[in-house]
Amino acid sequence: MLSFLPSDEERAFVEVAQQFARERLRESAREAEKARTPGDDLVSAAHELGLLSLEIPESLAGAELPLISQVQVLEALAHGDLGIVQGLPGLCDSASVMRVLPQPERLELADGAAQRVPWLHLSPNEVAVIVERSGFRLEGVAFPRRSTLGADQLLVSFLAPGGEAIVAWLDRTAAEWSEDAGDVRLGLLAAHIGRIGFEGTIVRPEDVLLRGDEAERVIREAQARVAVLEAAKCVGAMRASLEYTIEYTSQRKAFGQEIPKFQGVSFTVADMAIETEAARNLVWQAAHAVDQQGAGALQAAARALAYALRSARFVTNQGVQMLGGAGYLQEYPVEKWMRDVQAQAVLYGREMDWYERAGARALGLEEKEGVLV
Amino acid sequence: MVHWFAEHEMRPISLLADKEERVPDEWLRKVNRMGITLSMSNFGGDAGKKKDDAPRKEPRERQANRLGVIAAEELAWGDPAIALSLPGPGLGGPPVMSTGTPEQKERFLGIFTKDEPRWGAYALTEPGAGSDVSGIRTSAKKVDGGYVLNGHKVYITNGGRASWVVAFATVDPSLGRAGHRAFVVEKGTPGFTCTRVAHKMGLRASETAELVFEDCFVPIDNLLGGEAHYENRAGSSGFRVAMSTFDSTRPIVAAMAVGIARAAYEYTLDFVKKEYPRGGRLQTDVLAKLGEMDAKIHAARLLTWEAAWKADLGQPNAKEAAMCKAHAGRISLEVCADCLEIMGPIGLDGHLVEKLYRDVKVFDIFEGTNQIQHLIVARRLYEPYGLRL
Repeated sequence: MLSFLPSDEERAFVEVAQQFARERLRESAREAEKARTPGDDLVSAAHELGLLSLEIPESLAGAELPLISQVQVLEALAHGDLGIVQGLPGLCDSASVMRVLPQPERLELADGAAQRVPWLHLSPNEVAVIVERSGFRLEGVAFPRRSTLGADQLLVSFLAPGGEAIVAWLDRTAAEWSEDAGDVRLGLLAAHIGRIGFEGTIVRPEDVLLRGDEAERVIREAQARVAVLEAAKCVGAMRASLEYTIEYTSQRKAFGQEIPKFQGVSFTVADMAIETEAARNLVWQAAHAVDQQGAGALQAAARALAYALRSARFVTNQGVQMLGGAGYLQEYPVEKWMRDVQAQAVLYGREMDWYERAGARALGLEEKEGVLV
Repeated sequence: MVHWFAEHEMRPISLLADKEERVPDEWLRKVNRMGITLSMSNFGGDAGKKKDDAPRKEPRERQANRLGVIAAEELAWGDPAIALSLPGPGLGGPPVMSTGTPEQKERFLGIFTKDEPRWGAYALTEPGAGSDVSGIRTSAKKVDGGYVLNGHKVYITNGGRASWVVAFATVDPSLGRAGHRAFVVEKGTPGFTCTRVAHKMGLRASETAELVFEDCFVPIDNLLGGEAHYENRAGSSGFRVAMSTFDSTRPIVAAMAVGIARAAYEYTLDFVKKEYPRGGRLQTDVLAKLGEMDAKIHAARLLTWEAAWKADLGQPNAKEAAMCKAHAGRISLEVCADCLEIMGPIGLDGHLVEKLYRDVKVFDIFEGTNQIQHLIVARRLYEPYGLRL
């Protein structure tokens, strides 16, 4: 029968993550943002606790945890600081591709859980894909993505001319690309956000891991996993903002009384709590569905992320609003959480795109404007 | 099974019942013979335990609340007005179960048999006391052998046809909530009348009655829980009886709202598949709206299941019950409105979605308004900080 109870093992691991988030992530948040990186000490500590390898397959020396366990840990970590979480290495979004890739151990990874390998799933028209006798040639500058700066290996996927899906592995020893940090100021500043430039980058036949139906399957399943994991991080950020707001407002007085006694404040906080809980439940449901690989898993994942992004924007926005002028100052964490969440929404967006995909699936459409649904 | 009943027995008469503002008597007799009733008595508290259950080393996890919300969603999917019109104790059941003496439970709940459809009802709201139930003015004056009730109740589901209603009255308004008592007033009792049945925006097939008590004598045996209940338990009152009921009925109401939203969404999905122009801007708008609606429905359902799960585990669930009711009440209307938008003007003419829009609005109002639910949630959130809102 339906249950919302975590297992004892999950509870234990979550406690470890909570402690790490409380003692290290929250304390280092502003510093990491300023430095534009989490910092080596923090990364080492996370690595020792096993927090960087949750999604990585066992064949690549990872923990290969089920999503239902990972979402609880990630929520706990993001409760500390979403910005730092998004800057941690551990193969990043590529880990989700490797979870569903046949024989991921054939990839020669430079540094396992300690490295950043972004997954660039290139949208139609984002980067030109030209068919050549030697494979494919990529021309253009990709959209900003996290974990791109300093990456020596890339996982790329795209639809080739003609519509065939391709998944490929690029290594700097064999392929060339440029990277540009640009001028990112909004949020997730410690996440190594940058733009990869492909100026005649060749994807050789031996770089291609999968093509056609098999590539489509891997792309869809990996996207579902990424959606669930990113949604879980949103829930952590929401909870941080909600709890901070409750504590702050409980002690703030105006017009002779504590401000939660005004319904404009208490009702808003109640809405923040409702949205946080609603999003968490959708994430857990999606995690379970994807773990079970049941029908509707992709739908559940898209739904969870779209909802979590919108809820997180609402909650963190109201977190600033409820603190009034103080909320706007960098002395308080809420403005950073609002910026980080908005950056998250843009990077893993757009909400309407996820909702459109969910709607298309509900109508039985497999593809929409060249996008795998 | 419940969905089968909703699809094959309820949905076919949905629009007709709405038009005629009643559920056909023959249909009610038929479903009553089938043993189908609306009983909320199994939810919350110790309900569900059987006397002859062998003692167990470990307590068995109850499922009644979770099963209840699952069933409620399906019944409302069929038709919410018809669901509320199903024979049974209805909202009158939980207070009898939670507070009644064994004799009262037997006497009042034992009448729901297959020979004839019967109903129970719950009468709390008054013209001057809606959200603020502590302000009820129906009086209960103690006399020899019982109490005499005087007052007026409004918005009582099945109030006119009910064999009995659980009516809340005050023995002393100056005592506030502490003066409230719950009485079971049986149909036909002198001084107890149904003065009118209201015409409404939606749920038109569901009977919504006004009840008047004029020097209505209620025997002492009909005071729920008896005098002992109020003497033995310090701070106990009819108010607490009323409020504790809500923790188990709010998830049911939320589940019904989810069922209505889902009915509108599925109807519209089918409409889009068959009728909609393909391609172009309209298609993109519709896809996003459908995706949003799907997400809202799922979110509301899971909040409802969480509240029911906590009740099954015997854990306090007032916050979760309020959360699910607030959320489901709001999004269900949004979903119905979005469905109407997708269908366009065609949707006004004989389509189910228009009726569902009218039906669902009250789900953000009764069993505690959206605003009251927010107040309850906020109170629970600030309690640890010593703030009483």
